Amino acid sequence: MRTSRRSLTLALAFLMAVTLVVGCTNSASPQPSAPANTAPKVLTIGASFVIKSLDPGRTIETTSNMINHSVYDSLVTFAGEDLKTALPSMATEWKISADSKTYTFTLRQGVKFASGNPMTADDVKWTFERVKNLKSNPAFLLNSVASIEVPDPQHVVLNLSESHTDLLAILSSASVGILDAKLLKQNGADASANAKDLDKAETYLNAHSAGTGPYVLQTYTPEQEVVLVRNPNYWGAAGNSDRVVIRNITESATQKLQVEAGSLDIAITLGPDQINALKGSAGVTTKASPSATTFYVLINNNPAVGGAFSNPKVQQAVRYALDYDGILALVGLGAVRLAGVIPTLFPGSVASSQAPKMDREKAKALLKEANLGEVKGAISYSSDPTSQGVQVSVLVQKIQSDLAAVGMTITLNGTTRATALQEYRDAKNQIGVWSWAADWPDASNFLVFAPGRTVGKRAGWLEDASPQAKDIADTARKAESEIDSAKRAALYQQFEQKMRDFGPFVPMFQPAVPYAFRSNVKGVTFNSVWGVDIYAVSKE
Amino acid sequence: MSLHRFILRRVLLIVPMLFGITLLSFALTQLVPVNAVTANLGEQAAADPEAVAAFRHHWGLDRPLHEQYGAYAWNLLHGDFGVSISSKRPVLQDLRQFFPATVELAVTALALSVLVSIPLGILSAARRDTLFDQFTRVISLVGVSIPVFWLGLIGILVFYAGLGWAPPPGRLSADIVPPPFVTGFLVLDGLLAGRIDVVTDALRHLVLPAIVLSSYGLGIITRMMRGSMLEVLAEDYIRTATAKGLSNRAVLLRHAARNGLIPVLTVIGLSFGGLLSGTVVTESVFAWPGLGLYAFRSATSFDSPAIMGVGVVIAMIYVLVNLVVDVLYGFADPRIRMA
Repeated sequence: MRTSRRSLTLALAFLMAVTLVVGCTNSASPQPSAPANTAPKVLTIGASFVIKSLDPGRTIETTSNMINHSVYDSLVTFAGEDLKTALPSMATEWKISADSKTYTFTLRQGVKFASGNPMTADDVKWTFERVKNLKSNPAFLLNSVASIEVPDPQHVVLNLSESHTDLLAILSSASVGILDAKLLKQNGADASANAKDLDKAETYLNAHSAGTGPYVLQTYTPEQEVVLVRNPNYWGAAGNSDRVVIRNITESATQKLQVEAGSLDIAITLGPDQINALKGSAGVTTKASPSATTFYVLINNNPAVGGAFSNPKVQQAVRYALDYDGILALVGLGAVRLAGVIPTLFPGSVASSQAPKMDREKAKALLKEANLGEVKGAISYSSDPTSQGVQVSVLVQKIQSDLAAVGMTITLNGTTRATALQEYRDAKNQIGVWSWAADWPDASNFLVFAPGRTVGKRAGWLEDASPQAKDIADTARKAESEIDSAKRAALYQQFEQKMRDFGPFVPMFQPAVPYAFRSNVKGVTFNSVWGVDIYAVSKE
Repeated sequence: MSLHRFILRRVLLIVPMLFGITLLSFALTQLVPVNAVTANLGEQAAADPEAVAAFRHHWGLDRPLHEQYGAYAWNLLHGDFGVSISSKRPVLQDLRQFFPATVELAVTALALSVLVSIPLGILSAARRDTLFDQFTRVISLVGVSIPVFWLGLIGILVFYAGLGWAPPPGRLSADIVPPPFVTGFLVLDGLLAGRIDVVTDALRHLVLPAIVLSSYGLGIITRMMRGSMLEVLAEDYIRTATAKGLSNRAVLLRHAARNGLIPVLTVIGLSFGGLLSGTVVTESVFAWPGLGLYAFRSATSFDSPAIMGVGVVIAMIYVLVNLVVDVLYGFADPRIRMA
């Protein structure tokens, strides 16, 4: 008994000693790697993962968009932060009919998928039909597409049910990136009308990619990392990195430390605290890129939910009570004041200078006119630490004190994201502070705020609510169906001016997403649709 | 009752407990005012009744509640944990991936805290009220009261960002290609694949989080060991042993420590369970892809098969660890085995 115990103790001590020796001897060199001349070029990106799936037909989240954008080429694309000029990708040219109902694309010749299969017009048709028929997260992107024709292997024709001018912007999304139909059909994929029940390819697409992009998916370990390697069959110049490792690092503070110490090349989930601390850090560059996102205050127009706040005069009072300059100072560098609900990145938005300004006397007068006694309410919001670099929990406190300054009594009701989201989607927020991010780069994304549409309904704001509501809904319809771009921009501006002056939404600002990268990494940009364009990044 | 029957009975008790656990977590996911549709569908899809219906049908959420749970329980009896709504993989496969990472971390942390705290507790009791004792008491108090989350961040700040001794958070450096998945324990898989670079890199990554995670156990076990030793040292048989002329060392180790260890075993068992379920924060600070991170993700996406799967695994570990502790009692004190 005693000897066996002694040998056990000895064995344990030995194991400990080995662990410690191994742990300590190597710890002197922070970056162990193979000899320099054979070392692969590894690009490491830190992100707090938002990935529901890597199957393009089933995902539209931020992190998966970034990954899929470098794995799947879409028909068109955008360069860097620019979201105005669509550039050729899988399509080299396109023709849009005069009524904006027929889009004809000429496909790039000689493109092969990573598998070696040639990319043809049939793949495009199959991909789009699969997205539509899966009825999953990105299906709405192709709602306007009624039918797809393939006159020959080099051309694809999309017929729309009504005029839409934003289809090019939509087709840049990684969710409609072109898939290798032949390979995927062998792996359980289906694009028929019953695809939502028949398609079994998601598991395959979470482990392998099937695109024409510069990189291919090597491994996806949920909650841990995604590893990409070069696509040997890529049609353009080869990507700069041998391996791209995208790591799930949920803590912003940890991301900050890692980019500072050089074990991350790019950190994309940082808050204002981390960015301020990183400024002046040797070897680190910080940047903030404007995001096509609108932060707004939602007020419920339905008296059963909104109470006193459903009164248009009270809604106007909120508009004039907020200290917008103070809010901008709070939400970080690069944020831009919005007059209406459309970010300034898009034609059709109204200049910041035309936004309502704080006027507390006017707000107080409006409250007096409303004659409702003491106005009390609650602001609901998601208490997640940051959203696009904005600390919402701090922002709502500012709004609370601004409203108190004109005599409103506001309580704060912060809950976890899913809980808050549910209440908001069920149109049960009395007052809410939320943001709407563009799913594709066009002003048409933001018509959801119109009465009776997705976000309008969440504010209990229907078309028949008032003559003004009816008018705004009509303007929205005119704007989206106008084919002439100058006239369309003017209609969007009319919509914006009306939203600015009236209604249960108080637009505040568009944020700038802060991120940091090592100074030897070039070409890092961030756009709000797919984040960092990994292909454009090179490491010296 | 023989030891075998005792063990068998305890193992069989797991079955009704599993149903309790799964039923409770299933009921909780139904009671909260959120559903999986909101947590899993995007803004536009959630506004589209067709997409919502397709989602509900696919995951069986359109069936009556008792049918949903009944089907789950029946499958569980056959070893099928269902499919995770958020990862779209069988929950068993997810658990196989995330669980070893947590076990690797928790076992190392527990080994560290036991190996340090037991000798510390014994010596501290033997040298009661000396400077060494005071020092140990402060250390154990600090260990119990410092939040692991904070200690983790400070650890990274000092040893990784400041001194450069520790590697960055994560289980493996980005430039090291992981070995093929066999057991999920990186050190073992590295050995199996003959990849010494993986073994050393994985061990280096393990050191700091394991030390941080061990702090709580270290504090509480040291305190328990010291207290229990003080009690034992006041017993008559200790005085007898000393009177017989045994050396201090023999009295302390052979007579006192062995008896003093018994209540401490319970604490060690409990703290292992605590380590497993309490790794959520450590894992998030150290970007350690284990059960804690998986549980958090599953909870925020209302992924009930995954939530139930995690509950089942943690409950089973608790039961098994307590069983081991009870069996160990018998070895530490044969009188307990007789009873």
